[in-house]
Amino acid sequence: MQKDMIVASSLCVRFAQQTVLDKVNFNVGQGEVFALLGGNGAGKSTTLKTFLGTIAPLSGTATVMGMSVSKDIDSIRQKVAYLPESVMLYGHLTGIENIKYFLSLADIEKSAPDIEQALMRVALQKSAWCRPMSNYSKGMRQKTAIALALLREAPVLFLDEPTSGLDPNAIDEFNRLIATLAADGATVFMVTHDVYGACQVAHRIGLLDNGKIVGMFERKDQAHIDTEEVHAAFSARSQQ
Amino acid sequence: MSVIQQVTRDEWRFWHRTKLAATIIIIGTLLTLVSGVVNTLEMQHASHEREHLQQSAQAQFLEQPDRHPHRMVHYGHYVFRTPSALSIIEPGVDAFTGTSIFLEGHKQNTAMFADQRQASGMTRFSSLTPSFLLQVLVPLFIILIGYASVTREKEAGTLNIMITQGINVWHLLLGKYFALVSSGLLMLLPLIVAAVWASINGESALITSSFVAGYILYILVWCGIVLAVSAVNQKNSASFAILVSLWIVLCILLPRIGSSSAAAIAPSPSKLEADFAVKAELRKLGDGHDASDPAFEQLKKNLLTKYNVDKVEDLPINFRGTVAQYSENKLTEILNQFAEKRMQEELEQAYIARQFGWLTPTTAIRSFSMLIAGTSLETHHRFLREAEKLRFDFVQSLNKVHQDNLSYEADANRNKNADATKAARVDAANWQVLSEFSFKPDTAQTRLLRSAIYALQLLFWCGLIVLLLRFAVRRIS
Amino acid sequence: MSVFSNINREARFLVKQRYFFALLTIVLLLSVFSVWSGISETNTQLSTIERLQQKDAIDRANVLAKQSDYGSAAYYSFHLTYSAPSAMAFAAMGQRDIYPWKHRIRMLALEGQIYETDSDNPELSFLGRFDFAFLISVLLPLFVILLLHDLRSAEREAGRYDLLIATASKQQRLWLSRASVLCAALAIALLLPFVIGAIIMQAPLVSTLQVIAVTLGHILFWMLLTLWFTASKVAVKQSSAQIASVLLAVWLGVAVLVPVVSDIAIDEMVQSPNGGEIVLTQREGVNDAWDLPFADTWAPFIATHPQWKNNTEMSSQFEWKWYYAFQQVGDQKAAALSTAYRDATLEKNNLAQRFAYISPPMLAQKLLSSIAETDTLAAMKYEQKVRDYHQALRLFYYPLLFGAAELNEAQNNKTKVKKVAFDAKALSKLPSFSTFKNTIHTAKENI
Repeated sequence: MQKDMIVASSLCVRFAQQTVLDKVNFNVGQGEVFALLGGNGAGKSTTLKTFLGTIAPLSGTATVMGMSVSKDIDSIRQKVAYLPESVMLYGHLTGIENIKYFLSLADIEKSAPDIEQALMRVALQKSAWCRPMSNYSKGMRQKTAIALALLREAPVLFLDEPTSGLDPNAIDEFNRLIATLAADGATVFMVTHDVYGACQVAHRIGLLDNGKIVGMFERKDQAHIDTEEVHAAFSARSQQ
Repeated sequence: MSVIQQVTRDEWRFWHRTKLAATIIIIGTLLTLVSGVVNTLEMQHASHEREHLQQSAQAQFLEQPDRHPHRMVHYGHYVFRTPSALSIIEPGVDAFTGTSIFLEGHKQNTAMFADQRQASGMTRFSSLTPSFLLQVLVPLFIILIGYASVTREKEAGTLNIMITQGINVWHLLLGKYFALVSSGLLMLLPLIVAAVWASINGESALITSSFVAGYILYILVWCGIVLAVSAVNQKNSASFAILVSLWIVLCILLPRIGSSSAAAIAPSPSKLEADFAVKAELRKLGDGHDASDPAFEQLKKNLLTKYNVDKVEDLPINFRGTVAQYSENKLTEILNQFAEKRMQEELEQAYIARQFGWLTPTTAIRSFSMLIAGTSLETHHRFLREAEKLRFDFVQSLNKVHQDNLSYEADANRNKNADATKAARVDAANWQVLSEFSFKPDTAQTRLLRSAIYALQLLFWCGLIVLLLRFAVRRIS
Repeated sequence: MSVFSNINREARFLVKQRYFFALLTIVLLLSVFSVWSGISETNTQLSTIERLQQKDAIDRANVLAKQSDYGSAAYYSFHLTYSAPSAMAFAAMGQRDIYPWKHRIRMLALEGQIYETDSDNPELSFLGRFDFAFLISVLLPLFVILLLHDLRSAEREAGRYDLLIATASKQQRLWLSRASVLCAALAIALLLPFVIGAIIMQAPLVSTLQVIAVTLGHILFWMLLTLWFTASKVAVKQSSAQIASVLLAVWLGVAVLVPVVSDIAIDEMVQSPNGGEIVLTQREGVNDAWDLPFADTWAPFIATHPQWKNNTEMSSQFEWKWYYAFQQVGDQKAAALSTAYRDATLEKNNLAQRFAYISPPMLAQKLLSSIAETDTLAAMKYEQKVRDYHQALRLFYYPLLFGAAELNEAQNNKTKVKKVAFDAKALSKLPSFSTFKNTIHTAKENI
């Protein structure tokens, strides 16, 4: 198993005199679900955007599958699927049309049965497939985007606050889906401020505060990370 | 402080803090100011120049030596139109008509040397006149300042907060409306100054105040359009796209479509073509240079009977002069008839184009502004008529001199030898028949009456805006 | 994936946008209207010329039939001159509403006749016409800005931007193909009515292609400008409306301010005599001649027409040859002013051409009216042709008035010149404008 699918080494990002990321280091292995946990303004989204290539680091490197973000962003984008916090697709297109459009943007051709299968797998109700996306709920939009990620067969997934705004059932469904994907060998990197959700789904959690990694938590024997331990560390930090 | 005032103040604070709106207001005001100053200087220069040219043309005519009176008929005279006081803001059709006419016997010439003909051809779409800025560009500036006035609050969610706090939507919109109108009035300020200046220079106060009032109505209409569109849309970008499209249609397209339609609906035959009909009529009259033309037989008989003589040579007056007078009179009647017809046709075309004022406020203000400023087609036509009256008067006076002060015998033998030619002259003192020409714009009353319908068009637009705002208020609440 | 499939994908994607369709429909309708009104104006002008030609011929025949000497024949007969609109004129009416394109002239001093303007309704000229060239030069940039300004920012505002660029294998290709599809559709909406109009008017293929090239070039310029700006760092932080405001400001600069400022600059740079002065000089010249000794007329006339130096004898105080000689002298006196006036107009036109390079809308307009032969230069060429034709009339009449045949005979026989006999048949050889070719000298070309 590869240990360094996603690597951040001494990542520093500054915005106008303000240090947003300060020497951030971590690495994520294949089949691993890694959650970057932090409060508002901790630097989670900045980290994510650095890996997507929309923010350039001041120093340090971000690599995905051994390729440097600053050099090979186009090659990386072919291997990576990204799930924004609030998935917005084209409202005037149906779910299936959106998927077809985005797939073709990524130079991928998929047959109709393949697409249907992916939609079944993310459990998007069949009645919605051919409806314009403008009247999808947030959960439905997210499922569509995950189906897109599945179809792209991307070995690496970047998720931005994937469970915010979802109802408890949807969260459970989502967590199960992520677990299966990881079991199939996908590498998942997510940023979140949801302590409970992160503990449920992640193999490892990095606690980010004020642009620094201040704690690392791992699953030991149990099925998930100890919520209370993480929670204690999180609230201790946010009260400072 | 009332809600309306509070909202207005808040809007101004927003513009002050976001540099964009403030920049636009400053640019807009500066542009109108610069164009006002440049145009005022230019018009003053043109006015002095034309007055000077008019005086020198008059002097030149009077200084002509003793000669045959008919030579003076062909020597002719120039008249120049001095610009009206308000043309510093609204030059109207002046640049396209030509401002001088050559007057001579037996002919009605067109105005010559329009400014546009000598121009570089770069100013066919735009010009730096205050009227172009105020009618076309200021609406765009108002759009840029105000497109987000309501959508901004919607996108930020602050509108919902205000509504749940129980604010009256009318008050909110009125507050924003006053803010927008005040920014528009700021850009109108140079116009108001120029109008006051025109009043000092002898324009009637009634005219200048209606002129300013017309432009204020126009600003009110555009502020209303901007606010209403912003109020019914949910997003800044949608409001912006719709307003810019509206601007293209209302300010640029419709006025031009109006003029193209007018040309297509009521084509007017060219003057050259009408001239054939004139010539055919004139040929029936006979040539006034030739007293023996059979067309004047009746005139001859009447005169011979009247003075109880047998031959034209025995008449106490110069028959050739009588013929010249008689035929000039008939000829002018025909020329005027055709000239009037042509002016009527031009006016009909203009009326069609001006009806587009019901479809766009820009055409409404343009017609209103031209008519009030006295730079419209009507005023140009009056210039043509007055020039024609002057032409007829001096030509006929010269013909009368020809009839009374020059003997028939000397006249008939003028080409025999050099001495005979010299004998067929009259004293230069007779050239004093030329009356002074000074073109004054129409009276205030005439101009107000003519522009009433276009003021009505503007008021119609104001009414439409009120309805639109009511609709917007209902949509929000 | 090939470029074609990219374009294909974006085309199928954009077809479903309602806003896009509404705008295209409006553009199409505008283009149809502009082409229609252009064709109707061209046809009106053509039929006007046709009617004028007929009336002119009949009128001249009637007038000439009544004359019994060459002097009166020249005095009373007018000759129609005209410049017919080219087959492409429907697309760009250019300066034809300001410069005259038809005159009726006679053999009197030309400077007194050529500035007569049988112009259009000034109020309509002031409002401006809506022709295809206006659509292409002034409005086209606005359409491109409206279509493309929110190419990226709309995706950003809708929250799709990150997903889009994280998914697209080559993001530049995505924006480029989207913009290309939008602009191609715009070009089709603009050009389709034009091409149909060109076929109806049987416009030459080359100029049709030139107009298409100018249109596409202008679209391309604004497309690249918009793409460049929307991709710039400044635009990243701006909303769609702010981006469009900046682009509109650019449009305002090049379509409104640059032309106005260049116009003022050109006026300062080129000194032109006042048109009125030419007419005044000519008038003084012609009118004074009546009172001056004959020699004052003959000297300058013979200087330019030495072949008649032996035939200036006057048998009466009025002779037609003398009358036309002082008309000629009147023109000669005004010639310097008149040439300076025309040179100034040409110079202004040349400068305007150069200034147009900093204003793409102006450049497009100039190119279109040049292709359609409706620009200032075409008007000047027509004026030159009228001058040449007038010269041909003089060359036709002078031998008849001065008696070339009689002069030769008299010189051979060493007798006095007899009075020129009038022969109506000689007038059938009058030069006709419709078949007249510029043989004397060709119009000034200053390109």
